[in-house]
Amino acid sequence: MDEQQILQQVNTIFSRVLKQPNLSLTPASTANDVTGWTSLTHMILIDDIEVHFKVKFKLNEIMKFSNVGEMIACIHKKLNK
Amino acid sequence: MTFINKIISAFGQYSGRNAFCIEDTFYTYGDLLSISASIISKIENTCPGEQRIGIVVTDCIETYASIIALLLSGRTYIPIHPHHPADRTQQIIDQAELKVILAKGTDVQFSSVQNIDSTYTPSTTGPASYNLSQYPINLQQNAYILFTSGSTGIPKGVPITYNNLNSFVDAFFALGYNINENARFLQMFDLTFDLSVMSYLIPLCVGGCVYTISFKGMKFTNVYSVLEDHNITFALMVPSILANLRQYFQEIDLPELKYSLFCGEALNADITNEWRRCIPNAAIENVYGPTEATIFCLTYPVPADDSVSTYNGIISIGKEMQGMEAIVVNSDLQQLPDGEKGELCLYGPQLTSGYLDEQKSREAFFELNGKKYYKTGDIAYRNEQGDFMYSGRVDSQVKIQGYRVELSEIEFHLRQVAEPANAVAITINNKNGLAEIHAVIEGTTNITETLLNKLEQKVPAYMIPTEVHYIATFPLNTNGKTDRKELAKIFQQS
Repeated sequence: MDEQQILQQVNTIFSRVLKQPNLSLTPASTANDVTGWTSLTHMILIDDIEVHFKVKFKLNEIMKFSNVGEMIACIHKKLNK
Repeated sequence: MTFINKIISAFGQYSGRNAFCIEDTFYTYGDLLSISASIISKIENTCPGEQRIGIVVTDCIETYASIIALLLSGRTYIPIHPHHPADRTQQIIDQAELKVILAKGTDVQFSSVQNIDSTYTPSTTGPASYNLSQYPINLQQNAYILFTSGSTGIPKGVPITYNNLNSFVDAFFALGYNINENARFLQMFDLTFDLSVMSYLIPLCVGGCVYTISFKGMKFTNVYSVLEDHNITFALMVPSILANLRQYFQEIDLPELKYSLFCGEALNADITNEWRRCIPNAAIENVYGPTEATIFCLTYPVPADDSVSTYNGIISIGKEMQGMEAIVVNSDLQQLPDGEKGELCLYGPQLTSGYLDEQKSREAFFELNGKKYYKTGDIAYRNEQGDFMYSGRVDSQVKIQGYRVELSEIEFHLRQVAEPANAVAITINNKNGLAEIHAVIEGTTNITETLLNKLEQKVPAYMIPTEVHYIATFPLNTNGKTDRKELAKIFQQS
């Protein structure tokens, strides 16, 4: 799976959790740009992404997610190990 | 020695030591003094007679220096959150009768007041011989005014005097924490939230360093980064941080942390026990207090063994700090004996003399045996060990990540849009155990977008419902009122 495919699937998860069917994430998207992406919803997003991709993030990895692109790069790396 | 004298002493003694670390940049006590002095000079040059001054609070040294400048000069600061809705900010400006607001830069300007740019450049340094002791402090003067959620849709102003704050600082040091100029304090709170006051003020009293949390990104990861990267020794946090970090506890090891305090929400015993393994050298304390009683006024040192006092899994809020008195009363405001549940009431030198709005003061304060008590709205009882046990609320106030929220304030705004349909706000725990606000509308017409747009203009982000539900008819309780507990059950399962 390439990073573009991962982005599409992550977008679907964000849309569902944040209840925004028209959401369109880019690698540069941050919590400041996405309505509803708060501390409260962040862990739910992380949990759902872990279940969907069958990966497990470490705290140190989550701490480095400053935007969606970094999250996707981390997922990509784990899927291609 | 007053807290002002302690800070002045720290400026003299620790000029070269770090006072703040903000976004990984360190500022010494000397830097802080220079910036504070420059701000006092700006005020003296433009509005010397102004006593109450607003500060647009951002994560920068000028914000903290502005607070210190106003405190050292015996003035009153009113924090203004840059991301809160304009309507709410204007209500605060009006209630506090602000005529001057300090802000870094010129991006945030208010039309109804004089705006002063607090941006520091070395050329604007105050006089080298700046005399910090030139301002006699009137202890009856307000040190700050904070605004909390108000049930009528208008924020409630809580003035705290220098005397209140001094009493808190004295009571804090009487607790016997072993802290000195080597202390490294976490400051994770918005400056509109009074737990921030302890987090910056206490370290400045002993020459320690304050480590602030970035406004960018997720708060709980930023908190953990600072705890780990800077070997924080003293951390006051809200329990929600633990709920977010819980699944990573096995990766966390903070041997440098000496004191781990919690406040602002109920602290659960099970998660606290797990947290203890992450902080092998720290004492854990649960502290309690409403804004009206200056930061916190009850403390419970959580024992490491199984002797911890709990009620429904919630750790005790402990005993009164020095000078404070807590009692439990019934609905007729009669004092109840130990063991009986009632409303927790507070009396003592940390207590505000009343709200800015006198009508609200009449509702919240009462006299008993010649003492003026504050009704906290919290239900509690005192156990056999003399510790108070929290067991709920008498009203619709809830805590969302430590923020105090009156659900009735949200409902006030919901109904403005939903009418003639009925609308309520409830809390539901999400799958991580964190409380979320949900709105429920009686009817089937979807007004979610209009509702959320309206709320965004009226209340801070933490008060906006995570979800909006619709139900044909509200369930009623035996008194014929909307059964909010039943609504919460219905939508908890959905």
